[in-house]
Amino acid sequence: MSAAPGTARRARPQAARPRSQPRARPRAGLRARLRRDWPLLAMTAPAAALLLVFHYLPTLGNVIAFQDYNPFVGDDPVEAFLHSEWIGFGNFEALFTDPLFWDAVRNTLTITAFQIVFFFPLPILLAILLHSLVSGRVRGFVQSVVYLPHFFSWVLVVTFFVQMLGGAGLLAQRMREAGLRPWDVMTNPDTFIVLVTAESVWKDVGWGAIVFLAALAAIDPHLYEAAAADGAGRWRRLWHITLPGLRPVIVLLLIMRLGDALSVGFEQFILQREAVGRDAAEVLDTFVYHQAIATQQWGLGAAAGLFKAVVGLILIVAANKLAHRLGEQGVYSRS
Amino acid sequence: MTPPPQGASTDRRTLLRLLGLGAAATAGGAALTGCSKEAGSSGSATRSDAIRAVLPAHRPADLLKPDIPGEGPIPDGYLGYPRQLVDAVTEQPGRGGGTIRSMSPWWGPTPPTLGNNSYLAAVNAKLGVDVSPSLQDGTTYADKLNAMLGARDVPDLLSVPNWEVDKVARFSDAVRALFEDLTDHLRGDAAAKYPYLAALPTGAWEYSVWGGRLAAVPFPTDGPFAWALFQRRDLVVKAGLAAPTSPAELHELGRELTDPAKGVWAFGSVFDMVQQFYGCQQTWRRKPGGGLEHKFENPAYRAALEFTAKLFADGLVHPDTVASKGADEKQLFKAGKIIMFQDGLGAWQGVQGEQSKVLPSFDMQPVPVFGASGGPAVIWGSEKPIFFTFLRKGLGADRVDELLRVLNWCAAPFGSREFELREYGVEGKHFTRAADGSPLPTDLGRKELGAQYTHIGGRVPVKVRSGDTPNFVRDYLDYYRKNIGLMEKDLFAGIKLELPANWSKLLQPTEDKIRDILRGRRPIGDLDGVAKEFLASGGEEGRAFFEKALADNGR
Repeated sequence: MSAAPGTARRARPQAARPRSQPRARPRAGLRARLRRDWPLLAMTAPAAALLLVFHYLPTLGNVIAFQDYNPFVGDDPVEAFLHSEWIGFGNFEALFTDPLFWDAVRNTLTITAFQIVFFFPLPILLAILLHSLVSGRVRGFVQSVVYLPHFFSWVLVVTFFVQMLGGAGLLAQRMREAGLRPWDVMTNPDTFIVLVTAESVWKDVGWGAIVFLAALAAIDPHLYEAAAADGAGRWRRLWHITLPGLRPVIVLLLIMRLGDALSVGFEQFILQREAVGRDAAEVLDTFVYHQAIATQQWGLGAAAGLFKAVVGLILIVAANKLAHRLGEQGVYSRS
Repeated sequence: MTPPPQGASTDRRTLLRLLGLGAAATAGGAALTGCSKEAGSSGSATRSDAIRAVLPAHRPADLLKPDIPGEGPIPDGYLGYPRQLVDAVTEQPGRGGGTIRSMSPWWGPTPPTLGNNSYLAAVNAKLGVDVSPSLQDGTTYADKLNAMLGARDVPDLLSVPNWEVDKVARFSDAVRALFEDLTDHLRGDAAAKYPYLAALPTGAWEYSVWGGRLAAVPFPTDGPFAWALFQRRDLVVKAGLAAPTSPAELHELGRELTDPAKGVWAFGSVFDMVQQFYGCQQTWRRKPGGGLEHKFENPAYRAALEFTAKLFADGLVHPDTVASKGADEKQLFKAGKIIMFQDGLGAWQGVQGEQSKVLPSFDMQPVPVFGASGGPAVIWGSEKPIFFTFLRKGLGADRVDELLRVLNWCAAPFGSREFELREYGVEGKHFTRAADGSPLPTDLGRKELGAQYTHIGGRVPVKVRSGDTPNFVRDYLDYYRKNIGLMEKDLFAGIKLELPANWSKLLQPTEDKIRDILRGRRPIGDLDGVAKEFLASGGEEGRAFFEKALADNGR
């Protein structure tokens, strides 16, 4: 907002001072600022209201993590909050003493780690590849084709994989015709992690490439020209210009992914749970569904949600600190 | 019109709930110290004698004499369609109230909503008030229901399947908080104001009482069996094979019918039916010396599990059933890719009628019930109503009266114009008449009808011959008559059990383990361990709870 013309005018007398002096700009009075900024405030008001109503207000509902929440006591939903019994950390104890919960956490983290190694780099590669295509038409076409699966629901994606790779699918039938024994792709618990990662890649690799393509477009083409003039080959340009140009975005997305470490999706796993069994397919979200939502232990579900949020917050802050140490900007900058 | 696969959930859920008993023990054993307390209700059982005082006085309102009269829970059968229909309701039910929002389950493609649906327009014109139905997928109904009840945001008329009621923790609290008490409107002779509601069987009303008050209008069952094992009889006969009379023959039949190269497998899901062939109880059975025996303690369960696991191991089960939760077995069955699978008997007439147009020789029939290893089979079933219709609380007596009048219209019996409009829509539009006068649904009829008024309105169940299912009524009633003697009596009939919330926590884990054995991910020998763990971690507590419920009711 400091870029508003009015600010510049009011701030002029002090503008010559060195930046190191923080009190460079005296704050105008509230009324004056309101008069000056009201169009901007009016423009942000709806978004702020939405945020308040749909994010901050429901956050209060997390109190049920500390309650034996019964949605049917009292005369209205607010009374249900007020009249449900407080049970301290009972829900958390039930959660943390449940071995099934830790199974789910372990599965979730394993899948996250696996996907950070085998899924996360792929959109970057794809973006670089697409960026290097000269023909705009070919690039547009390829982009549309690889974006498209993102808009499919998981039911469709899983069905598609079953139809292609399942025991009665295209591949299996062709193999039978050729006298071969079909591979067990869809129902093998041992390779399930590869399967879900493959499904995620198929669905989202094109979508994930968008943000990297934008970052690539922001790299100054003169750098490439200058490097080429100096005799830098393809790989050297990639290493010294492209990747450094992408680094802030890569770090940003990596940190955000870490914050989401305990979420690897829900539908994808619940749909394939029977095929490979609980031991392979139980992740935190399906655990919460079966143990809290389906049995209406709302308090337990809220406790699991809070646990996820706290772990995510710690991971984001820690990863961000590390990024700062390494001289990166991270999710938010230091000053 | 396609009645739901009520078995699909009832039996499995009942088992699951029982399995959940363990949670109480696990949580109780954990160190719940300091200021922490345990969450979840501890369950209760309402005595059956508290119920009788609030029931409506029964007044039969049959318009036509059935060709095959029903017996007990078996519905009346009609082999012809009446040439002359009568007006069952002379006074328009609507009283000038606003649009009535309703929600009910439907198993099939969602029909168009009010404003784009000529069937709804036609019925609403008759009712004199707009009903705006919201149909939700029956297989995921619980998800919607849970959210709706939890948010205390319910429509004017809410249809709740009985197996979903069992899953909702603290359901009686929900009934008290959210739904109208109908006792004063319907108790005793007051029900005479709504003659077709008063005509619903008293047995069905008995289940509609919560906390000693009449809380819902029941949708009586049109046959108590949970499941049947359906076969494509046309394909079995074509292959020159006979109906199996033992598990060994069933396995052999499966081997002959399975042909992966053609994409054909003998079986879809069958485990529940196999258990019944082996004579295994659905959950509990009375021991000769007193007390209850859980199915895990019955050797028949182990034998059924072993047999079914072998079907999977030998590759006789369709890979889609193996691979995904949402395998559409009905579609695979229609296409002849699955030859046998279990489904509720409600699916029968709809599939047969629809497919006989595509393939005239299409013949869907239940596999005749046989016993394994010398003993007789048992059939799981219950006379519980399929759905309950609840009215939103706080609408005022006049509006409640209007809603009950609408439900009364929706419950009009066979032989009335109201019945025909409700079940088949408008003649020439949603159905045409076969030579014998029976309605044949048109494509528009199939598209626009989704039992929008049937599933909320009770109705006395009947089975009616239709032009596209000429043999159905006889086949259906024969199957029931032949096997009704095998049905295991529901020990808890009429006792409203509300199982502790904590119990359900072990359901899914135990079901997961059993499935691992079925699919060959664990050896059959693990069953002993699973059963032991189940009993030790809460099964015994459950036994005590159920035995006490029986003792309290003098059974």
